[in-house]
Amino acid sequence: MNGVLDLPSTHDEAWRWSDLSGLPALAGARPGGRAPTGELWIGCGGPRLLFIDGAYRPEESDPGPVTVGPAEAGAGDHPLGRLAGHQGWRLQLARDRGPAATIEIVHVATGGPAHVAAEIVMDEDAQASLVETFAGEGWHNVARKITLGRAARLGIARRVLGGGFASLTDTASLAAGASLDIATLAAGSGDSRLDTRLTLEGGGAYGEAGGALLARGAQRHDANAVLRHAAAGGTSRQLWRSVADDRATCAVAARVEVARDAQKTDAEQSLKGLLLARTATINAKPELEIFADDVKCAHGATVGELDRNALFYLASRGVPPVEAKALLTRAFVADALARIGDEAVRAAFLADAEAWLGA
Amino acid sequence: MTMLNIENLSAEVGGKTILNGLSLSINAGEIHAIMGPNGAGKSTLAYTLGGRPGYEVTGGSVRFLGEDLLAKEPHERAAAGLFLGFQYPVEIPGVSNVQFLRSALNAQRVARGQAELSGGDFLRLARAQADALGLAQDMLKRPVNVGFSGGEKKRNEMVQMGIIDPRLAILDETDSGLDIDALRVVGHGINTIMRKPDRAVLLITHYQRLLDYVKPDFVHVLAGGRIVRSGGAELALELEREGYGALAA
Repeated sequence: MNGVLDLPSTHDEAWRWSDLSGLPALAGARPGGRAPTGELWIGCGGPRLLFIDGAYRPEESDPGPVTVGPAEAGAGDHPLGRLAGHQGWRLQLARDRGPAATIEIVHVATGGPAHVAAEIVMDEDAQASLVETFAGEGWHNVARKITLGRAARLGIARRVLGGGFASLTDTASLAAGASLDIATLAAGSGDSRLDTRLTLEGGGAYGEAGGALLARGAQRHDANAVLRHAAAGGTSRQLWRSVADDRATCAVAARVEVARDAQKTDAEQSLKGLLLARTATINAKPELEIFADDVKCAHGATVGELDRNALFYLASRGVPPVEAKALLTRAFVADALARIGDEAVRAAFLADAEAWLGA
Repeated sequence: MTMLNIENLSAEVGGKTILNGLSLSINAGEIHAIMGPNGAGKSTLAYTLGGRPGYEVTGGSVRFLGEDLLAKEPHERAAAGLFLGFQYPVEIPGVSNVQFLRSALNAQRVARGQAELSGGDFLRLARAQADALGLAQDMLKRPVNVGFSGGEKKRNEMVQMGIIDPRLAILDETDSGLDIDALRVVGHGINTIMRKPDRAVLLITHYQRLLDYVKPDFVHVLAGGRIVRSGGAELALELEREGYGALAA
């Protein structure tokens, strides 16, 4: 118990690596007001929406097929997700429909809480891609429910650039042949808690959750992903890259669940951590729960330091230590971002990672 | 002009003395070969001059172009004009050759107060060097040394040397693992890039065969951490004929 907010404690297994102690103060803080947003737009040429402190800003938005208002976030009793409320945005796409360009949503939390509920419902064969940016010093709390019909395809790329706290809770269900990919980059100066629960309800669906978590100082990122295979022939991928410097902590708990009927499941997990200082912490927790017998579930978790031989090789060619470190670290996180489909979005994310490394 | 002057250099690795009072002087325009049996300290000499962590200098001095080499960090030694060719070039997944070399060259240029090369200028330079050394163009885009054969790695070292254009190259067993064709290419690379009045080379090698392609002005024998004998090119042939055993005795 954590006062009126009723937050989970670290005694709760699912929250043992989270530090929510800053949330009561952020929840009660007054927003700082207007914030510059110009640099936060990638410019994908599609629909765009701006939320400041959880409130929609129509004058700077062009929502296209997205509607703003009530949304069923489906967070259930998730301790943070349930606080996101029932107001936010909703994207419903009919069969075969989809915006031509990536939908871009920018969230700025200027100092206080920014609760947003979201809902995506896509019918058979609908297609969309979405990029979200979280900036500012406040608390982003977003809960979202995603329902994909047969063979619907959705790609989500999101970047956490702010200095406050971001708790992002996604609950998704995929019908047969549907595909969902959620890639997250945490490259700000604040903390995060990412919860992703994807259920492959129909046969042959594809689910992917992963990203790059970068932390220094006393930052703390905590990602929890559950990929549940409920039907046969599904494929899931979880590729996480964590980088921790100073006294920072990155934690990734990634779980694959394979139900009794989900034969021919193909699941892969790759959790890699890079410690830039001996005082930093990386926790990688791959979990498998398999009830079917004809499945392929590959999992790997490693935590290490930068390769000393590579550092000396770079130095021997004249690359100064700081630059050499950044070059190798960039290479380490690159494959977590290489899977973002939209080229402009991928370039922007790589630039953010680079900016973080160069800072 | 004296380019490199090593005086009475001692160094240890993991608490064990490997170099034991080594002295050597190299003038501009000269190619020196250091030969010696396994364990003589040949690679230790290269790494110590390159400044590799773990190679601790316990005595002596090294001056490079009139400056105290040992006081410099490894990347500063490179910027001063020292190139270290690796016996086992390191693989760096995720970093392309082009990215790596451009970072290296521009860091050196900045350290010397020169302007950075633009992307276009750099690519032209890199392509020309790759062509000259028979390294396929697409290797420049691939991650550094990843999946390269032994010969390709050594060619890549030579391409790097050509792009960086150092004053002094210390080449540590650059000939190891090379077939005859690759050996010829590497030898040609060393001659074209480094055989100049204001350049110098220290070739570290176990066998004489690279010296068929790169004619040394001086040959030294390293044993027990110091130079035990020096001579001209004919000394390499004598070593080939008689072995190191006779010399060490």
